[in-house]
Amino acid sequence: MGDRGAFRALYEASAAKLFGVALRILRREDWAEEVLQECYVSVWRHAPEYRASRAAPMTWMTSIVRNRCLDWLRRPNPEPLADDTLEKIEDQNPGPLAELERARDSAALARCLRGLDAKQRQAIALAFFDGLSHAELAAHLREPLGTVKTWVRRGLARLRSCLELQG
Amino acid sequence: MNCKGKPELRQRLAAEYALGTLRGRARERLKRWLRDDAELAREVAQWEARLAPMAGVVAPVTPPARLWHAVDRRTASPAKKPRSIWKALGLVASGAAAALLVVALFFRPQPAGVPASYIAVLSDPKTSQPVLVATAERGETVLRLNTLDPAIHVAGRSLELWALPRDGAPRSLGVVANEERFRVQLAAAADQALGDVPALALSLEPPGGSPTGQPTGPVLYTGPCVKYW
Repeated sequence: MGDRGAFRALYEASAAKLFGVALRILRREDWAEEVLQECYVSVWRHAPEYRASRAAPMTWMTSIVRNRCLDWLRRPNPEPLADDTLEKIEDQNPGPLAELERARDSAALARCLRGLDAKQRQAIALAFFDGLSHAELAAHLREPLGTVKTWVRRGLARLRSCLELQG
Repeated sequence: MNCKGKPELRQRLAAEYALGTLRGRARERLKRWLRDDAELAREVAQWEARLAPMAGVVAPVTPPARLWHAVDRRTASPAKKPRSIWKALGLVASGAAAALLVVALFFRPQPAGVPASYIAVLSDPKTSQPVLVATAERGETVLRLNTLDPAIHVAGRSLELWALPRDGAPRSLGVVANEERFRVQLAAAADQALGDVPALALSLEPPGGSPTGQPTGPVLYTGPCVKYW
């Protein structure tokens, strides 16, 4: 199997997961398609620079997709977070963190997230899954900007020390 | 102006960049620093790896077929052909690995569309044909085996799976249980058992496994082991 076949296999193995990640952040299928197209072209072109020692392939590709999505959101006139989307985030039951706790692959991260204050955990989850900025988090959680920034900062610092303890 | 010499600030910026809350000019500025600050790039990569498992719980959504067609069209031009995507992704440890993802996909180790954390493809060294695919999730202590060869078991003998570390002697991962599905019970979670293991081997041993702790019978199959996720 040549490079083309390998690339196709890589696409087949990862496209649905990465499309899900992009769709969650961008909330529009046409945007998610456009961003993912750019990502796969970028993966194909930059594969020679990829260093396996630095990250597993899926981690590498997920980071490319999330970063492209966040860059996309910086463009003028991004779609506002629709009200019904807000409701969906709040109503999610059991919610992404509960799913994470069940996922076999991420038990240490789930344990450490569980150890955070609920507010810190919620802010980090909304930022990661839905791509909310500090300002969007503050608006969504109806808290002052400075408070939300502190939650994120302290939450991340605690997450790091907890994950380091878990080895 | 940069953030060198301010380890706490660097940590915080790297974390918030990876999480996605660093936006606007701060984000653009960090992206510029990343280009020539390898240490900062490493901190960002560490944060991305810490947070990446969260993406595993996002529901997969199959994109429309036109997405692949567009990607295919834009990458088919020979001018931009990369060296080898296999080599680049570190998935080639031997010629036999060329079939790695295709075989792994054929077996669909996980229904969600994401390959398992660890995938090993063992091949017959004589024919280079892949014979066995072993998959495990990071935290699991079970290695699932799928074989293309239903006659792989030999009556009265055991099959034993070995980790071939970069340095040192083979390390037994366990005897293959011949139940409804082939599997190997690992002594530790896959991350510990396979984390630094570039290849696996399968040998034919007396019933119950090698008495010496090293392979005593013929090594039937070997192949690369890759941490995919």
